[in-house]
Amino acid sequence: MDVILAVINAAIRFTVPITLGAMSGIVSERSGIVNIAIEGMILAGAFTSFITNILLSTPGVPEFLQLQPIRLGVAILAGAAVGAGLALLHALLSIRFKVDQIISGTVINILSAGVTGYLYIGNQNSLGTLPAVVNNPFTTDQGLLYYLGAVIFDKGLLTYLTFFLVPFLGFCLFRTTWGLRTRSVGENPRAADTLGVNVYRLQYTNLALSGILAGLAGAVLVLEGVSFERGMSAGRGFIALAVMIFGMWRPSRAFLGALLFGFASAMQNQLQFFNVQIPHQFIAMLPYILTLVVLAGFMGRARPPAHVGSAYEVE
Amino acid sequence: MKRIVILALVMMMALGVVGIASTPAKAQELKIGLVTDVGQVDDRSFNQSAWEGAEAAAEALGGTADYIETKDPNDYATNIATFADQEYDIIVTVGFALGAATIEAAKTYPDVHFIGVDQFQAEELPNVTGLIFPEAKAGFLAGVLAARLSKTGVIGAVLGTDQVPPVVAFKEGYEAGARYANPDISLLSTYHPGGLDKAFIDPEWGAATAKQAMDNKADVVFGAGGKTGNGALEEVARAATAGKEVWCIGVDTDQWETVPAAHSCLVSSAMKLIKDGVIEIATLVSEDKAPAGNYLGKVGLASFHDFDEKLSADLKVELEAIKMLLDEDMIDPLTGKMVEDMEPTAEPTKSN
Repeated sequence: MDVILAVINAAIRFTVPITLGAMSGIVSERSGIVNIAIEGMILAGAFTSFITNILLSTPGVPEFLQLQPIRLGVAILAGAAVGAGLALLHALLSIRFKVDQIISGTVINILSAGVTGYLYIGNQNSLGTLPAVVNNPFTTDQGLLYYLGAVIFDKGLLTYLTFFLVPFLGFCLFRTTWGLRTRSVGENPRAADTLGVNVYRLQYTNLALSGILAGLAGAVLVLEGVSFERGMSAGRGFIALAVMIFGMWRPSRAFLGALLFGFASAMQNQLQFFNVQIPHQFIAMLPYILTLVVLAGFMGRARPPAHVGSAYEVE
Repeated sequence: MKRIVILALVMMMALGVVGIASTPAKAQELKIGLVTDVGQVDDRSFNQSAWEGAEAAAEALGGTADYIETKDPNDYATNIATFADQEYDIIVTVGFALGAATIEAAKTYPDVHFIGVDQFQAEELPNVTGLIFPEAKAGFLAGVLAARLSKTGVIGAVLGTDQVPPVVAFKEGYEAGARYANPDISLLSTYHPGGLDKAFIDPEWGAATAKQAMDNKADVVFGAGGKTGNGALEEVARAATAGKEVWCIGVDTDQWETVPAAHSCLVSSAMKLIKDGVIEIATLVSEDKAPAGNYLGKVGLASFHDFDEKLSADLKVELEAIKMLLDEDMIDPLTGKMVEDMEPTAEPTKSN
């Protein structure tokens, strides 16, 4: 039972940043902009959230700013804001200047790795990171209740937010005006334009949202995880993209993909704990193999938004 | 306009990608160049110790030291050549991954002496010294310590990648040491699933894995894998701060100095004395007595710091004794068995 609990909790922890990254990709690509800069935005978001938390933790900062909810709230917002900023840069390059979106995204990934690496300071201690929103109220002698509680409670704010965002985004994308416009711009911007949708404005807005989500993925890494380190996004942005394709650009299915990846990672650890040696390269390959399986059409046709990747010119 | 924006971005990238720092240079002196693995000279671990060694050696020998931080494994050769072309006397390359590039460069630049930290030399080249360490011995001591501390009888290890032999040696030694102290110990060891580019810079994975090990009842976690291991230490420290009775053990350097966030759990670290090794070899090189082939550095446990009073005197004595036996090669750190006398005996009961 303890083993199952350990695996589930580890799986949740592995899943959260990947899920946020995948949501970031969906919001962007559904509006017709390829976003391979998620990796860089996660890294920049993580750096900013971490550094904000550290700076607000130093002595001399007004006391009300050091209060836990304010300090961490500001840290989260700062991470999200920097994510949004980078996304808007991506938007500017790819919408205004019509730079190839892959190149623009790559520029942001490299820029982000360079700048965070340069500004990095080590050996820092903050006043603390996000605590569990609610602690498990049950004790070990309550059996099943304790185990259920240990899964449901003991998690940070951003984890709950992520689990809320998946259905929320699904609802917005398929049941609201914004969602309809986003999808139509991604499929056929000319038609959307003809019908009076401001294509550019919608793309800028969606890119900003995409950046916010990626920034939050970064915030999770440092505020519900560990101290910032250079390159700590460690490929999560690319796994998120793979998961997004696995999910065929739908939030709920992408979430399933992220969960599958998280669970596989946790299982891989657990098997190593039990001294069952399977080549761990298989786990590293998993998200990409799943993507290939989907793209090869084994699970129905995966079709990206029709107009994704090419700049739209207003006539 | 578009071009200018792109140009500006490229410039910004370039600034971020290359960083050469130097201490003030004087003319005609010993010049030591250091090329890091993908990592930085202030990584509070491996690269940093080597850099401190290079700096100290330069100071002691009246020379200068410079470093290049490698950002991409494809640049190893280029970065080494940058120093070699500027006629540096000694080039220190840090990390197992630079091994091949170092040997290549040594053949191209026979006048430069290379020190390859953690690079085992299978073939002797006159101008390459591989600084290697008996990691298994340090791991063995950490394993004994962990097994003695553990109350649950379960201990964990969060490791970099098995593609790097020193990491494997740490693990094997740790497990042998733990079994030596407690044959019934239960061991939870995990390698990072990623490749060399990710396995040492993924602290969040290390933390999540350490948590998983603790959820599996482990109460001591050995973090051996650069930043990934540091993440594990931080996670255990958080549990310790919250009142759980858990401990952690660091690796490579005295991580008390390098990961302040781990103070609440960090009992000790399985150390490789990289700095000392680099200084020793550099000094030998300057005296024209450079050892070709491999140079065996020293290992040991770091100070117990705040945990000094909490550890029993018996345990400290035991650790001292085992260290002595290991130094004298009387215990095999991979099996925990006493090594029999070297003399050939009638009974072939020899342990390897």
